[in-house]
Amino acid sequence: MSVLAVGLLYGIATLVVMFTGMPIAFALGSVAVVFMAFFMPSASLDTVTQNVYEEMASITLLSIPLFILKGAAIGRSRAGRDLYAALHAWMSRVPGGLGIANVFACALFAAMAGSSPATCSAIGQAGIPEMRMRGYSPGFAAGIIAAGGTLGILLPPSITMILYSVAAEVSLGRLFLAGIGPGLLLVFLFAAYAVWRFRVEHRAARAAFAAKGTHSAYLDETVYTLREKVEMLPRVLPFVILLIGVMVALYGGLATPSETAGLGAVLALILIATIYAMWRPSDLQPIMTATLRESTMLMLIIGMSLLYSYVMSYLHISQSAAMWIVGLHLSKWLLLGAILGLVMVLGFFLPPVSIILMTAPIILPPLKAAGFDLIWFGILMTIVMEMGLIHPPVGLNIFVIRNIAPDIPLRDVVWGVMPFVALMFLAIFILCIAPGIATWLPEVVIK
Amino acid sequence: MTHRAEAGLEPEGGPRIAGGPLAPLARAVEFLNAWIVRAGALALLAASAILTYSVVSRYFFKAAIDWQDEAAVFCIVGAVFASSAYVQSYRGHIGIELLAAFLSPRANRVRQVVVDIASFAFCAFFAWKSWTLWHEAYVDKQITNSTWGPPLWIPYALMAFGISLLALQVALQVVAGLQRRRGP
Repeated sequence: MSVLAVGLLYGIATLVVMFTGMPIAFALGSVAVVFMAFFMPSASLDTVTQNVYEEMASITLLSIPLFILKGAAIGRSRAGRDLYAALHAWMSRVPGGLGIANVFACALFAAMAGSSPATCSAIGQAGIPEMRMRGYSPGFAAGIIAAGGTLGILLPPSITMILYSVAAEVSLGRLFLAGIGPGLLLVFLFAAYAVWRFRVEHRAARAAFAAKGTHSAYLDETVYTLREKVEMLPRVLPFVILLIGVMVALYGGLATPSETAGLGAVLALILIATIYAMWRPSDLQPIMTATLRESTMLMLIIGMSLLYSYVMSYLHISQSAAMWIVGLHLSKWLLLGAILGLVMVLGFFLPPVSIILMTAPIILPPLKAAGFDLIWFGILMTIVMEMGLIHPPVGLNIFVIRNIAPDIPLRDVVWGVMPFVALMFLAIFILCIAPGIATWLPEVVIK
Repeated sequence: MTHRAEAGLEPEGGPRIAGGPLAPLARAVEFLNAWIVRAGALALLAASAILTYSVVSRYFFKAAIDWQDEAAVFCIVGAVFASSAYVQSYRGHIGIELLAAFLSPRANRVRQVVVDIASFAFCAFFAWKSWTLWHEAYVDKQITNSTWGPPLWIPYALMAFGISLLALQVALQVVAGLQRRRGP
């Protein structure tokens, strides 16, 4: 059978098995094993478990559960609410400051916790009721939180980036740094939109008040004294110090990325124990259980995705597909657009971990041949996968919002996030015009 | 990244074994899973502590240690594989549930049983190959390539045990699904 036929069969079999609802990890593993049995030497089946173990037993990959532990520790404490309250107080004098405070809180929390849904949940629980109480439309409030949460996989340390660095064989340290500029760009775009939208809704509220005397919470102002603002800082500062400390340890040459994961987890646990008195087994148990659940689910998908990619490579499917794409002689930007489109469609159904590991062997060689910087592309790919977190049909963050604010209709949430999806497209466009936003920082910091 | 657990979006566990000769086995697996979660939590804490110790000892005592990465890998691999049955017990291994939306409840129950049987076949195969890998490593006294060189049968045993328990958990879910089909 030709490589093309085997490749097509492999792709179709994967789609069919996955759409039966079989867990992604087992589906990928089953398809790989069946193709090993039919198309590879019989001895290869004897080494299947060794393959999975050897691919997984990398301390870089296995640092993922420790990053999840750090995120769960911070996510299950009151840090999110405190961070939000402090930013809200400090931004209260700025027009649209509440929206900006929510975006900033999401970005800072995401950088500390490294998880999009955890960010949505932690900041949204305080932020959505507050915004609605102040007159923000429900869809707008939900959109800010859903989109703000996605910054979790762009700002370091990002689990998605750890996998991309393994799949693309690029420096994890550089990749983490490359995410900072685009992350800040998105924060700026989201905040600017929040201010604009605030002005529109505020103007409408003023007009309604002038015309019919309809009072809106938009027109109320809360003033915080300097003393109140300063009093909020002590609870937030340690977490900001943790964030900065971990980055200094990583880039100051004190710790490897995996050591940073362990160190970050230990520091986060110490901080929640000292600040929120969360040190009893009953406090720690939900954190540890959530970490194990998430880690096990993810690591099994990663292990089986690696086996799946190994089979694809052994059967020359990935190499042939990559050569075929190169052979199409598409223009550079058409190639990039087509690949990002593919990633986006896959994002409708698959979690980012599977998308990266399954597609990297096929899409990265043509991109490299076209002269694209793979670190820069990693950032673009991450932003596209972020979109998958907020748009239907899967849109995990949408479900988180529905969980914390069940009275907001799904339709409002979906329409509320759409402007943010458009802003993400705009960010991709800006990054294509000015790639330095991503590549400048790693070049300056790591010579 | 899909942090469903942190976000409080746990999937439903599905039917449980109601009675019969397999009920005690189902309870035993549930009991074992509860203890594995505690051990797994300790293993993750140990891995974090080991990596932190590595940074501290290098920075403050200028002492490089060569075992921290492998020790952490063993702890995390053990925690992940051993907990896989627990995660399956509440169907936490995510899949694409698109088809479920288009099928009738009856057809969905049949689909779930078929999917579980296929999952069991894969897990049982993987468990079998894990035990042969463990046996080989144990008999040949295989060690890792590092200067520390711990025996490889340790992580292989954890992998084999975890996947075997996972296969057993899926098998129990198959039985529970079949019992439900036969039921009212």
